[in-house]
Amino acid sequence: MTFLEPVADWIVGVYNFRIVALYADEFARGITNTLLAAGASLALSLILGTLLAALRLSSNRLLSALAEIYIQVIRSTPLLLQIYIVYFALPLLVPATARWPELWIGILALTLHTAPYMAEIIRSGIQSVARGQIEGALAVGMTFRQRAQHIVLPQAFANIMPALLGQTAILVKDTSLLSLITVFDLVAAGMLLNSERIKPNEGFLSVAVIYFAIYLLLLLASRFVERKLAGPAWNKATA
Amino acid sequence: MPATPAAIAEPVIQTRQVRKTFAAVGGHDRCVALAGVDLDVTQSEVVVIIGPSGSGKSTLLRTLNGLETVDSGTITVAGRKVTDQRTDLPALRADVGMVFQHFNLFLHKTALENVALPQRIVRGRSRSQAEEIAMSFLKRVGVDDRRDHYPSQLSGGQQQRVAIARALAMHPQVMLFDEATSALDPEMVGGILDLMRELASEGMTMAVVTHEMGFARDVADRVIFMDGGGIVEQGAPEELFDGARNARTRQFLSQIH
Repeated sequence: MTFLEPVADWIVGVYNFRIVALYADEFARGITNTLLAAGASLALSLILGTLLAALRLSSNRLLSALAEIYIQVIRSTPLLLQIYIVYFALPLLVPATARWPELWIGILALTLHTAPYMAEIIRSGIQSVARGQIEGALAVGMTFRQRAQHIVLPQAFANIMPALLGQTAILVKDTSLLSLITVFDLVAAGMLLNSERIKPNEGFLSVAVIYFAIYLLLLLASRFVERKLAGPAWNKATA
Repeated sequence: MPATPAAIAEPVIQTRQVRKTFAAVGGHDRCVALAGVDLDVTQSEVVVIIGPSGSGKSTLLRTLNGLETVDSGTITVAGRKVTDQRTDLPALRADVGMVFQHFNLFLHKTALENVALPQRIVRGRSRSQAEEIAMSFLKRVGVDDRRDHYPSQLSGGQQQRVAIARALAMHPQVMLFDEATSALDPEMVGGILDLMRELASEGMTMAVVTHEMGFARDVADRVIFMDGGGIVEQGAPEELFDGARNARTRQFLSQIH
């Protein structure tokens, strides 16, 4: 067994999991805040994104133009700048937000940032629904709302699941910027370990692995949602 | 107005001077789709509309439940004025069954859900009641063993059967068939035509756009020949097929046979 000892020593030298275990509570807090920020921003940006997509597709020129301007403004400025603007400027405009926790500010900024990207994906999804599907729904007497809820949106979202997964993965990674406005997220937990122990592998590699695990869960979830929306035969139907 | 006894009753479908134009592709002129069409369909009547492609027959059918708007004229279907802005079109369409060339089944729903969903959300029936009715109609059109299949897992003929069941389950007052067999493989056509024949014999009021002249001859109470957006000639099948008075009608029929 002696030949294994240098290998074990090398592993512990490169990545000492005992040190990581010492920071279990900090990592748990980091994961919680990262998931809270990502989950809340995802839900809110899907709602706001659907609204923006509806405005973009609206026959009202003014509403459509306003939505488009908002989308372009967000896409042309850096996320970090947007986070700083919401963090520093919003309390001046709306004093009540001065008492908000940083996490809320972060969720707001991420939602405002992600919604336009979601909107463009959702718009393409709505436009991908075949005219015949809408005519079928019209012909049985469905109202606009019933068509949207039961026919158009489920098919639109099933069609765009891969693109939504990609945007959601970006959103999860973007939450790391919230550490710059003192949200204690996953990256902040890794930073803390590294700054106290000078152990970058234990700090940052652990964080990377956790991000990857979150992505895998998202991948599974997206397949599940697609099935839920459109049934197991959907890929065959669209292929 | 024709003086036949059937016409004394309120017609289920009545159009008066229906006109429709649409922008020609790449041109300044407007194409005439419907050039002042007068059509009456009475209770339990089966009217088959034939004519070359571009004659306006599908457009006419689609104006009857408001899938197409018209420029002028009036349309009354099942006691509701389709051309009136204030008419509740969804409520009207619920009473008018429509069967499409490309079926238009909801691709994300099983056969059973396709038939049950409209009943639930438009007619307000409970899930169990809607599914029970759906199963009885799926059985009737012969695809009850495919209840849990998605449209992509069904043949064209099976999809059209489900589509007919979906329309019938709403208990419509009139059924519109828009080239219901044109997209089917030849071996599937006969079964769908048999179903339509059965419906007709049960007294369903039907307006049928088709290229199936055999069906028109056997089943229609009246055949209408359309060309250039207007009704050129109409009459009982034997009148039209064997004794067409109009040269365009005769030319069209000679090309078909």
